[in-house]
Amino acid sequence: MFRRVRRLAFLCIWFCAGQVALHAQEFKLFDRTVQVHGFASQGFVYTNDNNWLTMNTSSGSGAFTDFGLNMTSRITDKLLVGAQGYDRNLGQLGQYHPSLDWAVADYRFKSWFGVRGGKVKTTLGLYTDTQDLDFLRVFALLPQSVYPTDLRDATIAHLGGDVYGNVALKRGLGDLSYTAYAGHRSDSIYSGYPYLLSQYGVYFSSVGGLQYGADLRWNTPLKGLLIGASRLNEDLTGQAKFTSPFNPVGGLVPFKEGFKAGWTNQFYGQYTVGKLRVESEYRRQLHDQFSQSLDVETIIDVRGWYISGSYRLMKRLALGSYYSRYSITTVSGGGPAVAGYPEQTDTSLPANHIYDKVVTARVDLNKFWNVKLEGHFMEGYGASLYPDGFYPQVNPNGFKPNTDALVLKTSVNF
Amino acid sequence: MKSRQLLTLVATLAVAGSVHAFAGEIKVIANTSVKTDTISVREIERVFLEQNSSLRDGTHVEPVIEKDGSVHEAFLRQYLGRTNDDLQSYYRALVFTGRGSMPRELGSDAEVVAYVSKNRGAIGYVSAATNSAGAKTLAIVNGAVGSERRLLTRVEPEYPETLKRLNIGGIVRLQVTIAAKGNVEKVELLGGNPILGESAIAAVKQWIYGPNHAQTTAEVSIPFEPSR
Repeated sequence: MFRRVRRLAFLCIWFCAGQVALHAQEFKLFDRTVQVHGFASQGFVYTNDNNWLTMNTSSGSGAFTDFGLNMTSRITDKLLVGAQGYDRNLGQLGQYHPSLDWAVADYRFKSWFGVRGGKVKTTLGLYTDTQDLDFLRVFALLPQSVYPTDLRDATIAHLGGDVYGNVALKRGLGDLSYTAYAGHRSDSIYSGYPYLLSQYGVYFSSVGGLQYGADLRWNTPLKGLLIGASRLNEDLTGQAKFTSPFNPVGGLVPFKEGFKAGWTNQFYGQYTVGKLRVESEYRRQLHDQFSQSLDVETIIDVRGWYISGSYRLMKRLALGSYYSRYSITTVSGGGPAVAGYPEQTDTSLPANHIYDKVVTARVDLNKFWNVKLEGHFMEGYGASLYPDGFYPQVNPNGFKPNTDALVLKTSVNF
Repeated sequence: MKSRQLLTLVATLAVAGSVHAFAGEIKVIANTSVKTDTISVREIERVFLEQNSSLRDGTHVEPVIEKDGSVHEAFLRQYLGRTNDDLQSYYRALVFTGRGSMPRELGSDAEVVAYVSKNRGAIGYVSAATNSAGAKTLAIVNGAVGSERRLLTRVEPEYPETLKRLNIGGIVRLQVTIAAKGNVEKVELLGGNPILGESAIAAVKQWIYGPNHAQTTAEVSIPFEPSR
């Protein structure tokens, strides 16, 4: 049934894309212009050893699809409203459960002060808010150390509000853009974390809570040089059912876990000169989680950084490369169940890191349609209590230390 | 009679000498509902990147861009410092995150002039040589970021009759030194027809800006359009 729906959805998108010659559409509603834009992408991944990103990649997998459609309208000079629907399938994740990606009313009083409310994309680093938009960048997959696609749902949006603005600095010092936000976030239960914990018989019905944070970015006087920093605070609660290890025959019982502390710091820089773009980001994420049901507290410390470069060689061809490093430590304490939570502190072990060297070529067939070919050469698999691309469920025979991956991806937008 | 012929000859030679300088020159045009006569380079960047939806005088503006072509490329290079790919990615990032809408894209200078003339608040760019009757050409003030001064009194330059009749026009670029009090201290011709330049210098010397804590300099572009 799902396959039929998937095929149908894709046929519709491709047909529509062809019919409208991939031009954005607009229509009038109550004398206001409504713009309609959409995108879709399809990927194929092959790995030599470990299965990656919950797909059966060692045999080659095309379970790597997403698409979105939005409508926006400028109601007054200062008020913009719009909404976007989004759906995806990534191996065992997403599973074609559609979501409201964003739905906002944005009122800009002045260039230096605006507010937006509703379901709002979260600003965190260079790409959190645009990570689904494959056509904006050269790479098929963003560096997974900082933008793990299996955790895409975790930081993508919040139900709440932002204040934002852009301030020109005097004496030629460039300009500052700021965003501050607060709201409730609901992580998809079809995301990486619920899937990872399902191996322990924990089945989430909801993960979410309060998040608030800010982003400050400085467009420096050196044309093309951007420097910024983001901070995100999280206070999340997960509700689930599980089979208690203390009473395995007792059936499913309620399971609850919450945060004692949760935050992410991200620092970034981007330099664009002509056809060359160089970027680097560093992210540290700390989760101090407490499982009431098991009386176990776990501190998960994830650190990742990357440096990337991309160059448009000719009108239709761009090349890129990045080096991405990811490491994780987990330390647990508490009641007897802590025996099931192995301590991981040595980041030199393949189980606690992933180092990824990547090369990419992007070919633009036209303004709206591109194809990418990307090679990943990974050392380590980072398997732990936190998702990082490699899952025991799809690697039942254990992990090999290295993984090479070939990613072929195409995307359209209008 | 002799003096008229001499003037014609001088003007023709001057144009011949300055035509190269006009190649790739852009002028910014706006709907006549836009109150201001000038726009700074900084404002152009912010308006076309959808960071500002109004000019300093409070007039609401809505940018229109050209799909491609040499005028579009020159505008991007000169005022936004971006390639077309960068600009398209920038707009798409706004559109697909709910932070903006796609500006209207038009196919030629003539379409831009027609659209800007008809639509309240519309602002666009065309080649300096394009007849933009029906729209208003904004003088471009190029000061350092944060040093833009409010223009309080503007005197329009006289268009030498002979040049106008001979259909000789273009953009004159001037370097203007503005005293702390606001009066124009010095004007130098940077580019354009020297006869039109003389007329522009005479007018700009009478301009008065708002006071500032120190002397500033600005680059001003003044269009001369024989069709108007």
